[in-house]
Order: sequence, then structure tokens, then C-alpha cells
Amino acid sequence: MSRNQSNNKEILTLAVEIGDALLRSGSEIYRVEDTLFHILDAFGLENFDVYVLSNGIFASANEDKEDGCSIIRHVPLSDVHLGKIAALNQLSREICDHSCDIEEAWERLAACKSIPEPKPWVQGLSCGIGCGCFCAIFGGGFFDSIFALILGIFLQYMRMDHENRKVSKFMTNIVGSAFLTAASLLLLNLKLPVMQDKIVIGGIVPLLPGIALTTSIRDLFNGDYLSGAIHLLDALLTGMCIAVGVGFVIIVYQHIPGGVSLP
Amino acid sequence: MILQFFLAMAACASFAVLFGVPKDQFFFSSLTGALGWISYLVFCELGAGIVFASLFATFFLTILSRFFAALRKNPVTLYLVTGIFTLVPGAGIYYTSYYFIMNDMHMFTVKGMETFKIAGAISIGIIFGFAIPQKLFQIRRR
Repeated sequence: MSRNQSNNKEILTLAVEIGDALLRSGSEIYRVEDTLFHILDAFGLENFDVYVLSNGIFASANEDKEDGCSIIRHVPLSDVHLGKIAALNQLSREICDHSCDIEEAWERLAACKSIPEPKPWVQGLSCGIGCGCFCAIFGGGFFDSIFALILGIFLQYMRMDHENRKVSKFMTNIVGSAFLTAASLLLLNLKLPVMQDKIVIGGIVPLLPGIALTTSIRDLFNGDYLSGAIHLLDALLTGMCIAVGVGFVIIVYQHIPGGVSLP
Repeated sequence: MILQFFLAMAACASFAVLFGVPKDQFFFSSLTGALGWISYLVFCELGAGIVFASLFATFFLTILSRFFAALRKNPVTLYLVTGIFTLVPGAGIYYTSYYFIMNDMHMFTVKGMETFKIAGAISIGIIFGFAIPQKLFQIRRR
């Protein structure tokens, strides 16, 4: 079976594009590598290799022949979108079943990439409800949960705003947790019957590095030490940023005379 | 306990929205999270201690996610990531920094160690959960 150069190149590009989209949506390394191998295999390439990191893809095919080609791709760490991962997973399944040729695959890939983020108000509201519910299950009372809900909505709007203005993730985490702590202390100072700590604990849940932690552990377990370390560092730094934000506000609060004393 | 279950489910469902989980998987994602949280509470009731309860709950959560993933033919991440949020030690991070600022070194050490242990327990739980061969999950699908 002879295949001209452009075809090889196109297959490799398609595979790397799919891998790129998967990685951007926050997939684990093992899944990206596996998907790329299967796709390239399904299209009948014989001599190929793929190396994936949390923020980059290296792929080459037919390097020892005349029509050899290779692609290097830098993929910045970005927000998680599980819906895209599911859709891309489905796409790669179909490619491997040979029920989807190259042209169709390109179209499907474009469709997968354009799956929209939830609308801003949906994001805000769901973040708020999440914070409220988490506040309740971690021991907050009814009023605490209501306040956590309101603060959660503000928090999500702040995060979306920061994202649009390309504010660094660290700043977002510090400012976000500082905002939550400050707001909860304000509520406490207004002599409202609230458990200040529970509001903050419920509120910081969306900032927590749950995904980074999970992904890093799974990467490490699969032997992708470098990628695992990248995500682990991300998780640790995020946790530290939250602690800094909370701590900073409490220090400032302690120096304001006339505050309600903390337990 | 029932109230906790539904609250956890609502919490996980709203996070599922936030992470763009496809609509037809909302139920399973949030169910995974809620069951994970309930199992944590049950293990706590049984006197397992926070760290071990986290370990067992994560282990259970991982197995459940893998089961649903095989059942619904979707990536495990979909279920695991939304569910894990109930177990990540957010309270630990908060109290650790709080006691550090309040200069209560005893409580700071206690809470700090606890947070690290919980994070470690979650890791081990996930690792054990993934150590179970995939074959077992595939048999159940049929």
C-alpha cells in the first residue's frame, strides 16, 4: 500500500490535533498517548512514535523513510472541560473502528473543539450552589450555606473575569481566597450568627486543586514522572496560594481594632 | 445521612456543570461523588479515623468511577474528578494556615500533618483503585 507524503502528514497532524485538544481539556497523559497510538495505528502508519508531556506533544512518523514527518506542539496548561474529553474519546473510538475517515474526523474534531463552556450565569450559579452544598456537608448551618452560595457566585464571576484578562492563576487563587475570608469576617463583624470558618471552607472548594492532584497521581502511577511532577507542583502551589490568601486577610484583620475576636 | 447524601449529590452535580460534564452523565458523576462522601462518613462512623476513612473512601470512589466508566463507555476522569472534590482536604488547608497565622504552633503541626496525610491517603486510594485489572470491569459490562 503506497501512500503519498501529504497523506502521512495529514494523518499525523490530525492525531496530534486530537491529542492537543485532549491535553488542553485536562486529560491525563496516558490517555493522550494511548489515543495517539491507536489513531495512528488505525490509519495504517507503521513507523511512528509519540511522546506526551503535560504541556507538550512530540510526534513523528516514518522518520527513516523519505516522507518522514514530525510535529512538536506546545500545549499550555488550561482549564478542564470534561465534556470535550468525553467527546474526543468517542471520536477516537470511532476512528479506531474505522467507521470514520479522515475528512469526517476533521469535521468531528472541529465540532468537539467548539463544544461551548457553560454560559456565565450557569457557571456562576452552579459554582454558588456547589459552595453552598459543600459548606453544608462540611458542617455549616443553613445561614452559612446561604452566604457560601452568594460568595460562591461572586467568586466564579471573579474567576471568569480574571480568565478574560489573563490574570495569573496564582493571583486568582490568592485574591479569591482572600476575598472569601474577608467577606466571611465582615459577616462575622456584622454580628450575624454565622460560623465564619465553615463559610470559607465551603467557599474555597472551587479553588482546590482536586483535578491537578488526581491527574498527577494517575500520571505518576502510569510512570509519567515528569508530567506527574508538573501537576503535583501545580496542586501544591495552588494549595499554598489558598493558604496565603486566607492567612493574609486574617493577619490584617487582627490588626484592625474593634473586630470580633476569632476563636 | 440521607440529607448529607443529597447535599453531596447537589454539590457534585453543580461542579459537574462547572467542568462541562456532558448532560447525560450528570447523574452518574454526582452519584459517584455522593456515594464517595457517604462511604467516607460511614468509615468515620466505624472509627476509621479521618486519614484512613479518606483512603478507603477514595479507593471506593475510584472503583466506582471505573465501574461507571466501563458501563457508560466514557473516560474515568469524568466521574473521578467530580467525585474527588468531596474528599480533598480544603478544610485542612484552611485550618493549617489559620493556626499558622494565629501562632498556635501545636495546632498548626497537627492540622498540617493531617492535611498531608489526607492528601497522601487520597493518592494511595487512587493508586490502589487503579491497580485492579481492567478485565474485571469489562466482564461486568456484559
